Amino acid sequence: MKKLKLTLLIAAVLAPTSLVFANDLDDLKIEVAQMRADYEQRIQQLEQRLAETEVKQNNVQAEIATVKATPSSSKNNNSFNPAISMVLNGQFSDYSENTDDYELDGFSVQGEGGLAREGFSLGESEITMSASVDQLLFGQATIALHDHEGETEVGIEEAFIETLGLNNGMTVRAGRFFSPIGYLNEKHIHAWNFADAPLIYRGLFGNQLGTDGVKLSYLLPIDLYAEIGGTVGSGDQYPSSGEHSGIGDWLVYAKTGGDIGTNHSWQVGVSHWQAEPEDRVYSGGHDHGGGADPVLFNGDTDISNLSLVYKWAPNGNFRERNFTLLAEYFHLDEQGDLSNSAEQATYNGEQYGGFIEGIVQFSPRWRTGARYDWLGSNLRASDDELLTDADLDFSGFNPQRYSMMLEWLPSEFSRVRAQINHDKSSRNNDDTQVFLQYTVSIGAHGAHSF
Amino acid sequence: MKKFIYFLLSLIATSPVMADINIFACEPEWAALSQELGGDKVKVFSATTGLQDPHYIQARPSLIAKARQADLLVCTGAELESGWLPLLQRKAGNAAIQTGAVGYFMATDYVSLMAVPSSLDRSQGDVHAAGNPHIQTSPLYIMQVAEALSQRLQDIDANNADVYQQRSVDFKQRWQAAIDKWQKQATPLKGTSIVVQHDSWIYLFDWLNLNKVAVLEAKPGVAPTVNDLNKVLNHLKTSSAKLVIHAAYQSPRATDWLVDKTAISKVTLPFTVGGNEQSTDLFSLFDDTIQRLLDAHK
Repeated sequence: MKKLKLTLLIAAVLAPTSLVFANDLDDLKIEVAQMRADYEQRIQQLEQRLAETEVKQNNVQAEIATVKATPSSSKNNNSFNPAISMVLNGQFSDYSENTDDYELDGFSVQGEGGLAREGFSLGESEITMSASVDQLLFGQATIALHDHEGETEVGIEEAFIETLGLNNGMTVRAGRFFSPIGYLNEKHIHAWNFADAPLIYRGLFGNQLGTDGVKLSYLLPIDLYAEIGGTVGSGDQYPSSGEHSGIGDWLVYAKTGGDIGTNHSWQVGVSHWQAEPEDRVYSGGHDHGGGADPVLFNGDTDISNLSLVYKWAPNGNFRERNFTLLAEYFHLDEQGDLSNSAEQATYNGEQYGGFIEGIVQFSPRWRTGARYDWLGSNLRASDDELLTDADLDFSGFNPQRYSMMLEWLPSEFSRVRAQINHDKSSRNNDDTQVFLQYTVSIGAHGAHSF
Repeated sequence: MKKFIYFLLSLIATSPVMADINIFACEPEWAALSQELGGDKVKVFSATTGLQDPHYIQARPSLIAKARQADLLVCTGAELESGWLPLLQRKAGNAAIQTGAVGYFMATDYVSLMAVPSSLDRSQGDVHAAGNPHIQTSPLYIMQVAEALSQRLQDIDANNADVYQQRSVDFKQRWQAAIDKWQKQATPLKGTSIVVQHDSWIYLFDWLNLNKVAVLEAKPGVAPTVNDLNKVLNHLKTSSAKLVIHAAYQSPRATDWLVDKTAISKVTLPFTVGGNEQSTDLFSLFDDTIQRLLDAHK
């Protein structure tokens, strides 16, 4: 009885709940089924998206793989050939005065320093070859060909080797090279901004100063460009002269430079050159024969130089527009004696001068510029006759020259230039000079030096 | 005294390890990539800005001074810098950056270039024997260069190799995600007919499947004459174009001429990092490039 009661009681209590429970269970089952379907769908979607991403990633990876470098197969016998380039020049020159009468008062014009031939002439044709020699050295040679009095002369303008990886900012160069005196002197003539040399280059060096020797330079490890260096040489190139058993000429220089913002850059250089010329012959240049009894100079020669370069380009983008301002000053000081077969005199000479030029490139294809030259001298000898014979009279006069030029640049590799000079190189001369010139470079790409 | 000498020796021995790696990047895109991959372990200098034509740079004194102190050159190569980089290498007195040294990295050595000329002659204009060097206009190429550059950093600075490794993985992940995003954004641009001023966009066009219908420069690197432009104009009568692209560093003269004569809209693209105010790094460079194309396309 008791048992039955209990059972009834439990049944009574449970019955409604179990009924409810049964209903809920069905609901739950449906819900779970729904949820499962839902999740399955979502998982499917996720899987699909994952697969898509993988495909996409694989696509990108595949695309990246296609841009990978493939080893090139062009390994010819001639791939070690040096870079070869050639500069071709031609010029038409016109002078209002007779070129035979050309003189630079206070200076004796030597070597290549004279005026270019009147009428059509072929300038210097230059061949330059350069390449790395090995892991340490670089080599470069420039051979120049030009006509002189009906014959073709071959000259070695430069031929040097240079260290590449000496480290610590050190570089050693040996061979024949343009001396690091002044800014323009280190550049080849075809890279100058005018068809002719500045008067001071013409007067002191016969256009350009070179040497056979060794150059050492050191670049300071700072953000400001600062380089110091020196050269020693044979001392047989004008204005030095003679055969020296040891060091015939030496030079020290310092250069510094940098940028101001992105638009401006500058460089300042000072240098000092010294030599002891033996029997320097005053022949009076190309157009004046030295005569049977030339005057000789023996003594000490010192030359100092100061050069300033400033360049401007909007945003530093040289391609479109730029401006260059260049000024150089030289001062020569020499002591010694002048002599010919009959006489001897003590000699004391000072020759100085400089130039300033401004060049505007106003579009990628056009440049124009102006230049002003000014020289002075103070030459003394114990015998004036020897000064006259050496072509060193008329000191005290200040030669001056004004030049203007216009260039058309069809490309990086070619240039057509028109130039006009008003030249007062001597007190007897007032010359108007006109040059039309082309210069092209073929072969290896030239360097864009500052 | 002995102690002092040891002290000095230890200073000499340790100082180079502590120093950052000095990177001389020829173009801003490689400066930006070097910074991404090197982080605070590197000091990066960019020789050019986004507003300069990288071919026409002079070997200025300031660049020589920087090259002297560089541990690593990161440049495009393929003759883009042939006018000035060899000169810097010669004047710097720095063995680390000589051709073939571990500090000499040319990005184009690690990718296969497009538009390799079948014949070489200067009458064809500014042709590059190795192919078109403007690879930074495609992020796929940048990814490939990043891989090689990170490896190079690890070779040069082995002590921090794991840092470079980590940064490389991180960069590649972010770059990959960005590429996906850009490709999605650029879908409407697919097949768009476009005129370019200079042929410096072939990698971008290839990546986004854009259609180059004409180049304003008849010969690469040579400013087009009115005659050249008229030819392009005639050509456009038969195959019309929607946009004309010109790079921020270039003179817009030729592009403006075309825009003046036609209904084509002009897009000035940054071309590289720093080409405009918006492009401050590699990510914003492509964000901005695609945005500008989309804006002009509407």
